[in-house]
Amino acid sequence: MRTSIKLALSSTLAIALLTGCSSATRNIDIHNDKKASAVMGLDYRDFQGVAQDMVKSLINSGAVSKPNGGRYVLVVSRVINDTMQHIDTDQLVKKIRVALLRSGKVVVTTAVGLNGAEDKMAMQTRKDLRGNGEFNQRTVAAKGQMIAPELSLSGKIIQRNIRVDSSTQQVEYYFQMTLTDINTGLAYWEDEKVIGKRGSNNSVAW
Amino acid sequence: MRYILLSFLTLIFLTGCTNTPQTDPMVKIIGNCLNNDIIIRDISERVRADDFMQIQVTGENLTSNYFKIEYRVVWFDKNHFKIDSILSNWAEIPAYGEQPFYINAISPSHKATSYRLYLKKEGNLICEHQSN
Repeated sequence: MRTSIKLALSSTLAIALLTGCSSATRNIDIHNDKKASAVMGLDYRDFQGVAQDMVKSLINSGAVSKPNGGRYVLVVSRVINDTMQHIDTDQLVKKIRVALLRSGKVVVTTAVGLNGAEDKMAMQTRKDLRGNGEFNQRTVAAKGQMIAPELSLSGKIIQRNIRVDSSTQQVEYYFQMTLTDINTGLAYWEDEKVIGKRGSNNSVAW
Repeated sequence: MRYILLSFLTLIFLTGCTNTPQTDPMVKIIGNCLNNDIIIRDISERVRADDFMQIQVTGENLTSNYFKIEYRVVWFDKNHFKIDSILSNWAEIPAYGEQPFYINAISPSHKATSYRLYLKKEGNLICEHQSN
């Protein structure tokens, strides 16, 4: 009897200890998350801030405003991730694309891309459905309807790690973007945003 | 000799009076945009040729300390509906001690016709301004 009481007591203590040690999972309020500690790597707050600055700079420059009105057709070129982190550059580019689309001055083509069409379905439906007797041909996309891009958005994210002292490191992230006029090959807009973080050497920035 | 000295002193006195600093004609306090540390002197707005609205806030850090000011501009269309955009997120600008600071904001869409501006210092709202 005494053994079973001891066993029950130690089990309860062990459970209480384990529960106390593990931090409870909680959702982040992405609209009010400034007080949370910064991290040495890039997180959603960094991408949001850079996208905001880039869109502001882009609209301010007037490069996306067609002289005679209307919308520019934009294609997203390569955004190189030259950091030590596994970043899907769409985390940045998508935010910029959405904002530009909403500006009413730009429309993005998904039919062209460096690695083929971003949305392959537009081309696939043409191949598969054109001349297919099962489909009403008046509803199939006609030839020569696609619009070629006029502007190309490209960029690069660079990381530099600097040792400050034996216990501190500094990580610098450079976000560089360029808007090129496809017709002339001239860069109509360029900008760079820098994010710097300083923290413990024990923190990992990759 | 005494007359000459008296005339000279009178002249200095009068010249001194005319050099009394005048009230700065640019000093303009916008609504409630004032606390002990910051003064907002002007908010200018314009509609550009490409139909985007642009505003410039001119203020001054009255202290000798450096701090950051957070600002947010919410944009509305002609029917007073809010335009959702990444450009309406809170952003920061530096305010150097005893120096003016400028905030430039641009509307996220050519459909914007009015805006509401918010300024915060150290998390406390210090200014709220609604355009006409």
